[in-house]
Amino acid sequence: MVSFLNSSDEKTLRVAVIGLGKMGLLHACILNVLPYVELAALCDKSALIRTVFKRLFKRVQLTDDVEKLANLDLDAVYITTPIPSHFFLAKTVYLKEITSNLFVEKTLASNYDEAKELCKLAQSFGGINMVGYMKRFAVTFKKAKGLINKDVLGNVVSFDAYSYSSDFSEVKEGSKISGSRGGVLGDLGSHVVDLALWFFGDLQAESAELESLSAGGSEDSARFSVRNSDGLEGHFDISWCKKEYRMPEFGLIIRGTKGIMNVNDDTVKLELNGGESRKWYRHDLNDSVGFLLGAPEYFREDEYFIKSMLNGNEAEPDFSTASKVDCILDQVKNRADKK
Amino acid sequence: MSEEKSMMLLIGDNPFHGISHLSQERSRTRGNAIGKAEYGAELVKIALDNGANGFMFSVSETTLSILKKVRKKGADKNLKLYAIVPYSYEYVRLATQMGGISGLAKKMVKQIAFSMNVRAMATGIKGVLRMDPVAFLKTYMFYEISRIKSSVGKKASLDSILLHEIITEMALALDLDWLCKAYIEFMLNLGIKPGFETRNFAYLVSKFRDWNIDFGKIVIATPFNKAGFQMNPSRIECEEALAQVTGQSVIAMSILAAGYIKPLEAVEYIQTLPNLKGVVVGVSKEHHARETFRLLEERLRK
Repeated sequence: MVSFLNSSDEKTLRVAVIGLGKMGLLHACILNVLPYVELAALCDKSALIRTVFKRLFKRVQLTDDVEKLANLDLDAVYITTPIPSHFFLAKTVYLKEITSNLFVEKTLASNYDEAKELCKLAQSFGGINMVGYMKRFAVTFKKAKGLINKDVLGNVVSFDAYSYSSDFSEVKEGSKISGSRGGVLGDLGSHVVDLALWFFGDLQAESAELESLSAGGSEDSARFSVRNSDGLEGHFDISWCKKEYRMPEFGLIIRGTKGIMNVNDDTVKLELNGGESRKWYRHDLNDSVGFLLGAPEYFREDEYFIKSMLNGNEAEPDFSTASKVDCILDQVKNRADKK
Repeated sequence: MSEEKSMMLLIGDNPFHGISHLSQERSRTRGNAIGKAEYGAELVKIALDNGANGFMFSVSETTLSILKKVRKKGADKNLKLYAIVPYSYEYVRLATQMGGISGLAKKMVKQIAFSMNVRAMATGIKGVLRMDPVAFLKTYMFYEISRIKSSVGKKASLDSILLHEIITEMALALDLDWLCKAYIEFMLNLGIKPGFETRNFAYLVSKFRDWNIDFGKIVIATPFNKAGFQMNPSRIECEEALAQVTGQSVIAMSILAAGYIKPLEAVEYIQTLPNLKGVVVGVSKEHHARETFRLLEERLRK
């Protein structure tokens, strides 16, 4: 039913997922549907989760310890735990030689130093590595990237990027709830930072403001500016306290010498200087996938990673590309601290 | 459980929850009125007055309040209800705020305990003791059924409860034939038609055939529209799958592709499809409710 490969090698890949939260479950389900993949093992610290999942994943090995994944002859591991544990887990997967093919949910690590160390490990162990910046696999953002590459906007001069959700819009000041998920920068912000780096290349953070409502001290909203060596300027506005955003929304308004483009999860709007304009919805951009769970981009992302392994191609965004997001997020935090 | 021979015309609840699959910007510009129970109930009543004979809704405080108002307006006579559970948005949001799936599970246990639903609690205790997913599912269904029944009068008929797409797709992905079969049997025993919402219709048909599930005993809600929007893996494969499903178990949703297709064009496409039990359409304005359901009645029923 679900098919995607022209691969001459019909090898089945044995894959494990570490972390059985929302994202782990989602990836595990999609992997179970993909051809040439055997979901071989699942790993989670919670005994309750393991007990329940044991009934749902009957032919899959369940464990509480990442080191127990060694000797399972795995071809790849997905790390879908909270961000602070990515570094330790990815490092363990490499050093215990569990596999050298790794998919890590965004962000790669908690900070740029950790991300750099993981890049070094990835380089020395080889294999295919990728970070789950799934917005790159959304049809609207892919369309926008194609238009930028075709120089439809001319020289890009400036952009405004945003990511908003209402996840913690009702959180009272001093509450610890949002702190449990880390800050909004890594959670929502990292997606638009990755998109901006994908669209425009290297950027440097300049001024930054972070606001925290929670008792844990992690940020609930962020505003910062970036610039590149050619003078391109960008402004980011990120918050998970926007009541009117029922679902998380990501978008960019991009200004070039030939016109303006407005892209978000649903649409791409292009207005050229000569008066010509065009709008594309997801409907216009062939958004169907082999198996839809959550959003089409998750299937495309997993399909691409598996395909990259089977065909021996590098995957993007790899650790090195994704570490640039961690770098910008560190710069933003440092700039804001200095204020 | 009543069998309907003519095409079911259902009003859907997406606009009441602030959902637009065309763009989130569109749902924000609809304003606050659409989320109010009184306004939602009025739209349901107008749709019913103009040809609709049922309401398909995710079970949430919003839709249950609308149902209470519909009952007060006296519009619930012969109203056929197609409930979708769980209202995944609410639970995903709760999981986010409760620190993940474990936090959500604890919250659910508390909610069910406070509901004082004896059948739900008894099955739930069994489920906890055996860590049995089927018992958990039954507990949850008892809880949701009690919520629905406390909001609707006796004049309305709870024809079907459909598993939300997120549950259906996970069951398909993980080959949980035993869970689907247990759900079907359980609901049939309660006299309610078991249903499945899916955006992987072709995949579901293939799996259910492999699992020997009788399509005549279930309801499936899935997108069918001329644009192929949310039809996976493709419009053609979904149409081919529909041709294999006899027994009128399929309700077409997203027929307007979230407003991307004009109603007349949408209906002309639906008329070409075999084996449909009905269609569900969400509306956000009074004149939309009137015009859309008049058109649906005229073109799909006569």
